[in-house]
Amino acid sequence: MKGCQTKLHRPVDQRIDGPPGRRSRTAMATLSLAALVVGLLLAPMAMAEGLVLEGATVHSLVAEPSVASVLIVDGIIQAVGSDLEIGSDVQRLEVSGLHVYPGFFDAFSQLGLVEISAVKATVDTSEMGRFNPHLKAITAVHPASEVIPVTRANGISQALTAPSTADDGILAGQAAVLHLAGWTVEEMAVEPSVAMVIEWPAIQTRSFDFATFTVRETPFNEAKKTAEEAQAELREWMDAARHYAKGRQAGSQRVERDLRLEAMSQILDGKLPVIIRASAKRDIEAAIAFAEEQGLRMILAGGQDAWKVKELLAEKQIPVILGLVQSLPKEEDDPYDQPYSLPGELHRAGVKIAFGSSAGGGFGPGGPHIARTLPFEVAAGISYGLPAEAALDALTRNPAEMLGLGDRLGTIEPGKIANLMVTDGDPLEVTTQVMHMVIKGQQVTTDNKHQRQYERYRARP
Amino acid sequence: MREVIPRQEQCRRSARTGPGTTIPEELARRSAPSSVTALLAAMLFLICLPLAAERPPSPPYYAVSDVRVVIGNGDVLELATVLIADGLIEAVGPDLEIPADARVIDGSGLTLYPGLIDGMGHLGMPAATEDDDTSGPGPGGPPAAAQPQGPEARPGTTPWLRAVDQVTDSGRFESWRQAGFTAAASVPREGFFSGQAAILALGDGDGSDLVVAADVAMGVGFEAKGGFRTFPGSLMGAISYVKQVLLDARHGITARALYEASPNGRQRPAYDRSLEPIAHALEGQMPFLLPGNFGREIDRVLELARQHDLRAMIYGGQGAYDRIEALKAAGTPVLVSLDWPEAEKDRDPDAATPLRTLVHYRLAPTTPSRLQAAGIPFAFASQGLNSPSEVFEGVRKAIEAGLAPQDALGALTLGAARIYGIDDRLGSIETGKAAHLVLATAEPWVEDVEIRAVWVDGALFLERQEDKDVEPPAGDVSGTWAMILETPRGNRDIEAVLTMGEDGKVSGELKSEEGEPSTLDKGRLSGDRLTFETTRSMGSREVQVSYSLLLAGERLEGTVSAGPMVMDFKGERTAQAAATEEDGAAEVEVSVEELRQALRQLQGPVEKMDRFAIFNARVYTLDGDTPAGIIENGTVIVADGKIEAVGESLSLPDGLPTIDAAGGSLIPGIIDAHSHITIEGGGNEGTVAVSSMVTVAEVIDPDDIAIYRALAGGVTTINVLHGSSNPIGGGNAVLKLRWGQDADGMFFVGAPPGIKFALGENPKRSRMPAGFPQRYPATRMGVMDVIRQAFTEAAAYRQAWQDYDAAKKAKKNPIPPRRDRRLEPLVEILDGERLVHAHSYRADEILQLLRLAEELGFRIATLQHVLEGYRVADEIAAHGAGASTFSDWWGYKAEAYEAIPYNAALMHERGVLVSINSDSAEEMRHLNLEAAKMMKWGGLDELEALALVTLNPAKQLQIDGRVGSIEVGKDADLVLYDGPPLSVRSVVQKTFVDGDLYFDRQADRQRQSTLEALRDKLEPKKPKDGEAAEQTGEPAAGSEPSSGGTWKHMDYSCQEDLR
Repeated sequence: MKGCQTKLHRPVDQRIDGPPGRRSRTAMATLSLAALVVGLLLAPMAMAEGLVLEGATVHSLVAEPSVASVLIVDGIIQAVGSDLEIGSDVQRLEVSGLHVYPGFFDAFSQLGLVEISAVKATVDTSEMGRFNPHLKAITAVHPASEVIPVTRANGISQALTAPSTADDGILAGQAAVLHLAGWTVEEMAVEPSVAMVIEWPAIQTRSFDFATFTVRETPFNEAKKTAEEAQAELREWMDAARHYAKGRQAGSQRVERDLRLEAMSQILDGKLPVIIRASAKRDIEAAIAFAEEQGLRMILAGGQDAWKVKELLAEKQIPVILGLVQSLPKEEDDPYDQPYSLPGELHRAGVKIAFGSSAGGGFGPGGPHIARTLPFEVAAGISYGLPAEAALDALTRNPAEMLGLGDRLGTIEPGKIANLMVTDGDPLEVTTQVMHMVIKGQQVTTDNKHQRQYERYRARP
Repeated sequence: MREVIPRQEQCRRSARTGPGTTIPEELARRSAPSSVTALLAAMLFLICLPLAAERPPSPPYYAVSDVRVVIGNGDVLELATVLIADGLIEAVGPDLEIPADARVIDGSGLTLYPGLIDGMGHLGMPAATEDDDTSGPGPGGPPAAAQPQGPEARPGTTPWLRAVDQVTDSGRFESWRQAGFTAAASVPREGFFSGQAAILALGDGDGSDLVVAADVAMGVGFEAKGGFRTFPGSLMGAISYVKQVLLDARHGITARALYEASPNGRQRPAYDRSLEPIAHALEGQMPFLLPGNFGREIDRVLELARQHDLRAMIYGGQGAYDRIEALKAAGTPVLVSLDWPEAEKDRDPDAATPLRTLVHYRLAPTTPSRLQAAGIPFAFASQGLNSPSEVFEGVRKAIEAGLAPQDALGALTLGAARIYGIDDRLGSIETGKAAHLVLATAEPWVEDVEIRAVWVDGALFLERQEDKDVEPPAGDVSGTWAMILETPRGNRDIEAVLTMGEDGKVSGELKSEEGEPSTLDKGRLSGDRLTFETTRSMGSREVQVSYSLLLAGERLEGTVSAGPMVMDFKGERTAQAAATEEDGAAEVEVSVEELRQALRQLQGPVEKMDRFAIFNARVYTLDGDTPAGIIENGTVIVADGKIEAVGESLSLPDGLPTIDAAGGSLIPGIIDAHSHITIEGGGNEGTVAVSSMVTVAEVIDPDDIAIYRALAGGVTTINVLHGSSNPIGGGNAVLKLRWGQDADGMFFVGAPPGIKFALGENPKRSRMPAGFPQRYPATRMGVMDVIRQAFTEAAAYRQAWQDYDAAKKAKKNPIPPRRDRRLEPLVEILDGERLVHAHSYRADEILQLLRLAEELGFRIATLQHVLEGYRVADEIAAHGAGASTFSDWWGYKAEAYEAIPYNAALMHERGVLVSINSDSAEEMRHLNLEAAKMMKWGGLDELEALALVTLNPAKQLQIDGRVGSIEVGKDADLVLYDGPPLSVRSVVQKTFVDGDLYFDRQADRQRQSTLEALRDKLEPKKPKDGEAAEQTGEPAAGSEPSSGGTWKHMDYSCQEDLR
């Protein structure tokens, strides 16, 4: 921890009382040290003009990994190299023997919108109404959510936070991309509005009825009709928005201002991409056709069946935000490892992939709380055909590029925002520790609620 | 009870207001929930009319002359006469003298068969009652919150109902008689003990004339309503309830006998009208009709019959093809349902039907021929079907699948009569038997058969002349037609999908916006006139609707009539028939043997070897003796399912089969201390606060694909637990994942039994949707109280038995206490014979439970989830409870907000025996990685982490003498990885259970291609994407609906609401 010079006040509620417990193991010792020292630093840190990470192997993702220094000035990567000239006012972080990677990117999360999934009062994901193109996730993000530092501590430095729909809603609203550090959402925002989220009206023949706790089967034709009606409705909204934009543009006085239709103009003129959530093959295909017909820039999210349409996705250059890799096969007779091999299959077909903690899949409790383990979900694809480099790309540069942030995030290159993680090994291996996090060029604490509880109860006499 | 309006009264009311406005929608919907509602709403008043015209009195004497007689016992008389007198068969034989007073029916060219007997159904029984309580809270807000009723309310228990008293209306018999059925075994509908079956003659009189035999069997069912409302809400609850009632009835017999022998000084046993008829059945007066359709269901009821010493008959029985030996050994008759499984109509074309379901479709119809070959008595049951035409379709299918026609006839006549012990009066054409006869051109199920006459108890019901008016068809009506029915209430759109054969016969169905399609009957295009009928079932009776239409090019026009009601019906063809796609989809012949072979390959060990060695492995022994717990370059020798030797580079005997681990890691089989896979019919009996009377062990589904997937993740043993909806839940099952064996073959014999407890949000029903019945407890205080109360009862129960034993010893001839399936497991807990696995989250509730258990005198074996265990780790360690937790789940509910991923490590550090469990069919596939997280969070070393999913759960389940480590003498449950076991980059290559190889990554590829090849053969060709279903309404490729079970699996885990 040499080189860490900044001192900040430790808030009272984080003070660890009592003697430290047994510390016999290296990993634990390191962790505890991180807690004691780095833990003193609050997120984000006070303003240093510059920061240099020295002595680590740098995995820039644009060049072969090599031992180098990373110089950061005003939050931006200035230089990566071995013989950098470092000014005396630059804070030095000595990280010899460690590894520097671009911070990971959760490409579809609910971070900041949910504190406790089952406590409705703490959930701000899904507004009433079926068409809410004007709603922005960022307006509900709780910067002090305990989930954010917990997530950050495992190497995730930025995340897309997406609104969702209630019931059979279709236009969920606008997603934001946030740095996972900041006192306010304004500090956190990479982009306050980065994509429009559409819940594709899928043909659903099976649903769980919570009122009766039973699975309800809908005849196929009925389900299809319902879906087609909803799709037609969505199409009407697109037409209305187009008409509205035209009228407003022409300066018509008769067209009254409509916030919802106005919000849609950004997707119609291609300023914003649409993230369409769809999972079954037929729904993915219908969504692609719809996006093409409407001239939308489409990103697919979910994509459980994406392997069945990988050629189409590749041909149309539609990027895919996959959900949790550790999922169950869809059909009884599907190969047991089908979900594990999905990322590799898409990658080989030339589809650009990213991963989102709330994009779908999984068989646990879900919610933003699992964003922390997103790297391990991606890693689960490695033994089943996803090259390790591709896995890293999917967690870094791919989501940045598909969301139009490729010039700012995703790799360690001069000119990009310095969102970095320092680890003691391969960040895709479960046992690896994240030693430091740098967000917007500032070293931020990896301390979090969990670690605090751990320390506190470990010290219980 | 809803208001019952007598028929005449209905008519009067209708007449007053006139048709078209009389029928409230509500009534129409209730009367015909599954029919073309619009049509019915318009035609409902028709049922007011007499269904059969008034007939002249029939003479009591008949002679059927010059007829071929199929006696029914295997003999056939080619040309004979049968004399009928006073309801009986007077004589059968060639050259009989025909009495002058007999009406002669010319049987030349025809055959006389014994009347058919429906082996089990509900003919003549009142319609099912509708239970408004199952629909969930309506939009109008929650209904008055009531405590859900428990088993003591004797739900669905009406054994006193007798079919002979229940017969409501013989009008419904008409269509069955016309098809050749003359008698039926009929059981009151619905319930766990629905009532007593009777054999009814399908004649035309009131109940008293129809009874051939009363009280021939006691109907039993396992159909729980489901959900959290009324006990039982699960299959295991239903089974448990039935068993308890049997115990109670048995107890009633004993108690009453003892009391009657010496009433003085004894309390009088209570009279319970539910128990009396069951007691009679137990005493041998009648057998029990037990539901068992699939193989595992048959296993369950055979076991039930064995345990409770029941004379049993099994109904359903379609999966008996797989249980021939067991049925033969038990000598249990089977009433095979002719409702053969098949792909559902209008199913999702993109959802794949599982292969085992496709195979079941194919093998089920072979059941009758297999039963016949094995000499197991069987009959055919209409149960599940509405019309004789469906029954006959089922018979034909059984014949196609190998049943000889004479055996089919046997099952429909004498076989059925024998099963019910009435073969002395029915079932064959022999002198002195009741005159139940069918005169027909062929066997009644044959497609083109003409039934010319039917006698029930000597009364002639049908006499038809040869139909000579049929002309060749003048066109083809095949295709889809958009029809309009002009009803007094306005026009209704109806879609007709018709298919015509070359002979002019027309089949198809009618569909409207609402309701299920109705199937065409007797359809024919004669010249340009299309005629057909449909049958609507309305409550307890059926209504025939006749259609007569003229074909003019692309138009059909004519009328619909039902009785005197006539309405216009016309429309146009909108689509031609979907070409010959059906022909294209013709099923490829696959031999039954091939299928059975393939199934064994798909579900069973890949390889079995008596003795073999695995060498060149990094062996994680976890035995504590090896200094590091790891043997580099290790060898493990397995013999007879046990580990024979473990060591470094052991020298191997010549000829011993070997497996080269190629430097991979060999670990003990992973043990999941908390799983809910393989539970059929609901994993929660959540209706009551204490559900210790149920156990998941009674509803294990050994065919659950989750088993194979778990094996592929290295899991070899699982602790299957009841859900967490009650402070005291149901029993558990510790299973070894011997994929391919039946439930019995999976139990970990020797594992102590366990039970689920649950604390906190789930048992107090914190997140029940509004409108669900309230149930005590609603607070953590109440949760503790429920547990304390239950054990107070259990202690008293134990005392009662001790007192009884003492009194018995003292030869006081005491009345034994009633056996209580709810309290028995609790007594076992008090006696230290049953392990408590307690779902818990918060530190406070954990501590309270530990203290309560200490006060009551038992120990908690494991705390499950125990997410705040890190806060009371010392107390847990001191109590001696194990802790089985998630690796890193948190924040999903209030009581999980303080969860930390360091929990396992911290508790371990404080001396608690810790394991990591899955609670999820997915998470269980990578428990090694969940364990690895404890190296990251809390700094455990590799062996400590690995022990969290192997040795530690073994200790918690008290099976560590057998599994959990690689030691000589232990079970050879082994997992081979291609790398370090706690790395995300390692993949399970082989999984052994008891030395048998159940998963092999290479063999899995082979399995997959076998599976796909078979699917291709069995599944009708899929339509091209995008052109699915809608054109014909008959998608060619199916969705799964019943993957081999009446119950659907509901996957869930404890962290979700109420689980």
